[in-house]
Amino acid sequence: MSKKPLISTRNLRKSYGRRSAAFEALKGINLDIYEGESVAIIGKSGSGKSTLMHLLALLDKPTEGTIKLEGKNTSQFRQHKLNDIRNKKFGFVFQSFFMNSNDTVLNNVILPLKIAGVGFRERRRRALEALRVVDLADKAKNKANDLSGGQKQRVCIARAIVNDPKVIFADEPTGNLDSGTGERIIKLLFGLNERKGITLIIVTHDQDLANMCDRQIHIADGEVVEEGIKQELYDENFDGDNDNDGMREKNTIKRIDVEED
Amino acid sequence: MKVIDIIKDANANLLRNKLRTFLTILAIFIGSFAIVSTSAIQAGVNSFIDDQVNSYGGEGYLAIVNKDSMDALEGLTNAMGGGNSGPIEYDPDKKQDGMTPINEEQIEKLKKIDGIDGDSIVKQKSLDITYVTSKETDKKYLMGAEALPPGNIKVATINGHSLDLKADEYQLLLEHTYVKALGYDDQNIVDKKIKIVVKDQFTNEEKTFEARVVDVIAPGVVSMSMSYFNNKLADDIYEENTKYYPPEYKDMTAAVAANYDYNKYSAEEIKDKLEDIGLSAMTIDDIVGSIKSFFDVILTVFKIFGFIALIAAAIGIINTLFMAVQERTREIGLDKALGMSSGKVFASFTIEAISLGFWGSVFGIVVSIIIGNIVNVAFHAEGAFLESFPTFNLVIYTIQDVITVTLLIMFIAFLAGTLPARRAAHKNPIDSLRYE
Ligand SMILES: Nc1ncnc2c1ncn2[C@@H]1O[C@H](COP(=O)(O)OP(=O)(O)O)[C@@H](O)[C@H]1O
Ligand SMILES: [Mg+2]
Repeated sequence: MSKKPLISTRNLRKSYGRRSAAFEALKGINLDIYEGESVAIIGKSGSGKSTLMHLLALLDKPTEGTIKLEGKNTSQFRQHKLNDIRNKKFGFVFQSFFMNSNDTVLNNVILPLKIAGVGFRERRRRALEALRVVDLADKAKNKANDLSGGQKQRVCIARAIVNDPKVIFADEPTGNLDSGTGERIIKLLFGLNERKGITLIIVTHDQDLANMCDRQIHIADGEVVEEGIKQELYDENFDGDNDNDGMREKNTIKRIDVEED
Repeated sequence: MKVIDIIKDANANLLRNKLRTFLTILAIFIGSFAIVSTSAIQAGVNSFIDDQVNSYGGEGYLAIVNKDSMDALEGLTNAMGGGNSGPIEYDPDKKQDGMTPINEEQIEKLKKIDGIDGDSIVKQKSLDITYVTSKETDKKYLMGAEALPPGNIKVATINGHSLDLKADEYQLLLEHTYVKALGYDDQNIVDKKIKIVVKDQFTNEEKTFEARVVDVIAPGVVSMSMSYFNNKLADDIYEENTKYYPPEYKDMTAAVAANYDYNKYSAEEIKDKLEDIGLSAMTIDDIVGSIKSFFDVILTVFKIFGFIALIAAAIGIINTLFMAVQERTREIGLDKALGMSSGKVFASFTIEAISLGFWGSVFGIVVSIIIGNIVNVAFHAEGAFLESFPTFNLVIYTIQDVITVTLLIMFIAFLAGTLPARRAAHKNPIDSLRYE
């Protein structure tokens, strides 16, 4: 594992609305996310999870604070560069699917490549490959609207991986699915994390899902209230081997209780 | 994103709401149809008028007479019956005003005027015809005629025949209003002989010239009520007119045709210069100008209708695309979240607008060409109002006009499209993500 974080934030703040009616959705978030990790951002509805994810995914700009991507301050990036990063390095999966439901499954998966300007044959080939990964190659010609919820979310995963991303951002990926279907989606995502080393950032309010991630970041009222890593990772990295703690040195690894704050 | 993909998507998006797209295109179609049709009619009218202008000697042509003759000339033209009012009957008791000739000194001065092409000067003799008649009628008519000026071979005729200038027989191209008066029709008068009578002003003796009608001069807007004679007929009549003149009067010049440099001088400047040497001139504009401006006024009115329709169409485009932006908020958000630049979003909506403009104008043009040609044929049918103008093509569609109108409409559509396209380009992907 690399020692430098892939994404790191310092004192990240986000306010909505104007001065008098301003509402602070994020109140100074410090985070480091490393390449190949799976991270859960967990918290109640309205706690600021989506807002945080949007900032990390460079979909929005913070009111205050910095976001570094591979060590570079993203506030210096031009819009064109931000677009390019989202297009080529990031993949997105959303709770409400967020797809063009009147278009075919294939065209939905092709979209990021089309935006990237990939040629017709190449993008078609890669989209079919991505659909094979989510086991939907036979539905390529179907209208997206005709699929079940689980199938739709698998199409979204195919779309998220079609550009070979470094990071997948998933906002409540199982939120609209029953638990069985949700499990299949989770397996897919963690499979990609393990096999391809894609960094996973999953926003959820589901503790079971969060427990499957390498690390959990608990958010309440726009603040990180608790951070924890999986027991086995904790054991691997820190049990009796304190020389190998470089990757975590900036992170609070002990559990913080809200009461302690 | 590739341009070809943006164009394809824009057209695919137009097909999503077919009725709305159809109605938007319909408004553009009306504007396009009106503008292209008026352009075609204008081209038709201009080409018709240009034919006439060319049959005189083109732009820059000057018909020059002595200043004192101008009034007489106008009187003569009126007496001959302009346009379709028909020839005037001969009245032996009524005396026609004579022309004051142009003298050699004036012609020398004319040659030296800056802007007058000396080589283009052609002297025209005045032919004094007493009356014309034919086997088919007892009536006698006044007639204005001149020798066809050399090089002036573009006179449009109804049956397409032209004079043989050097022929040893008497030939003429007959002014069209004389055909009926002499008891014939446009076709059967060809090769018939008519009688041209010249009465000597001193002795009152009459001499008749039997001349073959080669063809009928196509009616035109610049008809000067002149018939054209071949050289032999003109020379013999002139000889008859002047047989008792003293030799020094035999070679009188009644009028002069000349060309001036219309790029360098205005007609008014040239006319002033001629005025100084006692000459008076008419330009092509004096002859065809009023007809042209009459058509121009009518066609301008139609064009204005076309542009008003286009403005309405532009508002339609704006409206349609604002609706489309609203409907596609989530899609635009997704595109932008996945890395599409605002510029490309802007481009995709303006291209949609341009496509609407393109299809509307193409349909307008196609329908205009079809209807224009049907109407043209119908108007030339027997009894229809263009029947007597067989060489007048009501509509002429030029590639240039068609392309200009298409580009113009696409440009207007583009301008209309920029408003909704800006709104789409400024959409924030996050807001769209939250938009349910
Ligand atoms: N565009 C916005 N304008 C105003 N308030 C917003 C906006 N987006 C989010 N918020 C507020 O910020 C807070 C955090 O929202 P969000 O990040 O969506 O929470 P979560 O995803 O954890 O449910 C909520 O109180 C929400 O109402
Ligand atoms: Mg949320």
